[in-house]
Amino acid sequence: MNNTNHNIESPKEKQNRHKAMEAIKLLNTLREDFKAPISSMEYFYDLFERVHCKHESLHNDKTKIGTMCIQIPSEIIYALDGVPIRLCNGFYTDDEIGSDLMPQKACPLIKATVGHFASGNFTDKPDIVFSPTTCDQKTKAGTTIESFGYKLIDVDFPRTKESEASREYWRRSVKQFAVELSKFQGKKLTKNNLRDAIKKIGYAQSLYHKLSEFRKNEIVPILGMDVFLVTNAFFFDKIDNWIEATEKLISELEIRAKEKITVTGKAGPRIIYTGSPPIFPNYKIPQIIEESDGIIVADETCSSNRMFNDMVAVDEWNIYDMMDSISDKYLKACTCPIFTKNEDRIRRVVQLAREYKADGVIYQAFAGCTVYEMEQRSVLEAMEKEGIPILYLESDYSPSQGGQLSTRVEAFIESLKTRRRNKK
Amino acid sequence: MFDLKRKINNMNLIRFRFWFQIIAFALIVYGGYISFDLGDKLPTFACVFNSEGTGGKCYVGMLQHDLKQPFEIFMGFAGYAFLISLIMFMVWFWILNKSWCGFVCPLGTMQDWLTALREKLKIRFSEYSWASRSNIKSIKYILLILLLIIPVMISNSILGLPKLPNGLSMPFCDICPGRMLIPAFTGNFNQFYIDFSSKTDLVMTTLGMIIVGLFLVGSFIKKRFFCYFCPMSALQYIFSKPALLKLYKNGTKCTKCGDCYRACDMDILEIADDVTSKNLVTEDCILCLKCIAACPEDGCLEANFTGITIFESTKEGFILRMAINIQKESHE
Repeated sequence: MNNTNHNIESPKEKQNRHKAMEAIKLLNTLREDFKAPISSMEYFYDLFERVHCKHESLHNDKTKIGTMCIQIPSEIIYALDGVPIRLCNGFYTDDEIGSDLMPQKACPLIKATVGHFASGNFTDKPDIVFSPTTCDQKTKAGTTIESFGYKLIDVDFPRTKESEASREYWRRSVKQFAVELSKFQGKKLTKNNLRDAIKKIGYAQSLYHKLSEFRKNEIVPILGMDVFLVTNAFFFDKIDNWIEATEKLISELEIRAKEKITVTGKAGPRIIYTGSPPIFPNYKIPQIIEESDGIIVADETCSSNRMFNDMVAVDEWNIYDMMDSISDKYLKACTCPIFTKNEDRIRRVVQLAREYKADGVIYQAFAGCTVYEMEQRSVLEAMEKEGIPILYLESDYSPSQGGQLSTRVEAFIESLKTRRRNKK
Repeated sequence: MFDLKRKINNMNLIRFRFWFQIIAFALIVYGGYISFDLGDKLPTFACVFNSEGTGGKCYVGMLQHDLKQPFEIFMGFAGYAFLISLIMFMVWFWILNKSWCGFVCPLGTMQDWLTALREKLKIRFSEYSWASRSNIKSIKYILLILLLIIPVMISNSILGLPKLPNGLSMPFCDICPGRMLIPAFTGNFNQFYIDFSSKTDLVMTTLGMIIVGLFLVGSFIKKRFFCYFCPMSALQYIFSKPALLKLYKNGTKCTKCGDCYRACDMDILEIADDVTSKNLVTEDCILCLKCIAACPEDGCLEANFTGITIFESTKEGFILRMAINIQKESHE
């Protein structure tokens, strides 16, 4: 028997193959399954394909600063010449690896993130990781990740945002973070480099706002899933490339809006998406929504809207005030469900529903994402009071759940259509 | 029309206010030289001690003077004079509401200049803790009551207390930093003195000198330091409700991001945290409109004159003011 040609697939190769399969399946859906595809979206499809299927590294020449949540200020990372890489993970393959290391009932996002670290299989491996103490699971995952041999630093994050103490506490944490990073990078934070970074990120955010304007149109020229892809790309892409690609996308959308090109059926109900974040390639629920003739016109999640909505506002352009402005932006404006009271999130969802003339809200929580699960009741009650239809779904990363979820989503979307007809 | 509105909403408020304040300062402090005179019931510190230069006179001085009458006379014609003055004051005040503080007041402008100097020197401003911030709120009312009651007590015996000495006839002017600083801008430094002629004068003029020192040091390290204690501000606030210029907030659009609070020189928490009130002209508000300029939400905050929106927060304006678009210019 000659077995010299037999290659046994290593775990790493297997992981890569599985992840590439997950990625390409979604990308092909986006490329082919919807009418009137947007040609400038190709940059983003290609970007995800390069990173997740061809395993290309994007930031060879730079220090990569891993972040575990949106609360780590990218402004400071860019000012100190690093590249922020947000490590929140959406792969089922990594979720399965992480399942062995995390409690059974942990949230799939955490499991996938921990699994990714456990495998050590990165295209852009973080040189240092900053982990804000947001939800319990992320907070505790830090030590597990550290035990794999990564340099990980906790960044204290308060669980209330109304009090004076929490504001002060977080400002100090951010200062401490800047000191740690500055030491790690051997670079000093200056008025100029911080101001430039604030303006660059502010500009990127302003592009997201422009993009969102098109989604207010009666004929929506872009899929919600495509927007999720654009915002997810911001997790790791080279910021200048991202800016250029998004500018192109916006100019194409301008033309499409004029020509009234639509991506869905005419009567497709307009949906606000909120809850646990859709992170590439876990677009399970958005995909079901948009394949069932709904269209996501806005979202309230930390992988998209929450990351871009609020820009840093500085009163005095000196380091002291820039640092405080940055800190406040990441605390005061945040609508994460880890906070004790969260009226702000409800108000945001209501406001989005009004502004984007939505027909309904879909609230998705990952099984195990306790904070979103807990907040579900209050949001449902508030929406009922406002007369906005809402559907609550629980899901995870497994590919097997589709049938049951799509039945519920389809029924909800049908009911929205009927509701709209009756109104007329 | 739409274009003009957009231009206004996109304006650089800081620059506009800087120049507006300079012009207002010039008129109030030097207007007298060109016979500019707005009368003696102004709701702002146009100082009577700057006798040649002043373009009008402060009502608080007038008010103390009006009240220094024996009851018998006050119940007669002096009372009418008092009422007419008060109405004149209110009419002036209603036009601009508290913007008199944020755009016209020369003492306010001086403080803003000191703030600009501190900013240039890259020295951080200091803030009150929230607890002390709310504790000091009452001081301006105490000062107001004192300045109202002391002149009355000079000519009348209240509750059988002896009458106060005549040296207290203008008690607030004695301690007002404007009395010394405003004439100084016309080269008149005569108000910097300590009067040893009587015990009352000695105490009051010494207090005045101390307060000028505090004013200069305080407003260098704390934005609008003096305005927290200003009895004029307290007097104005009593009549603020019917004023024509208003600061309105649409709470449903507010995300409580706190940008407005951070921009606020008076550290007014309500501007960010109150999402139910419409009228946001609170007791310490100086209607400088910086909060509107710092607000990133379309139509969340607005300056409203007689029911017409004259300046409102917009996303576009916010982005322009933060000069985020600069990146685009260098990019293209």
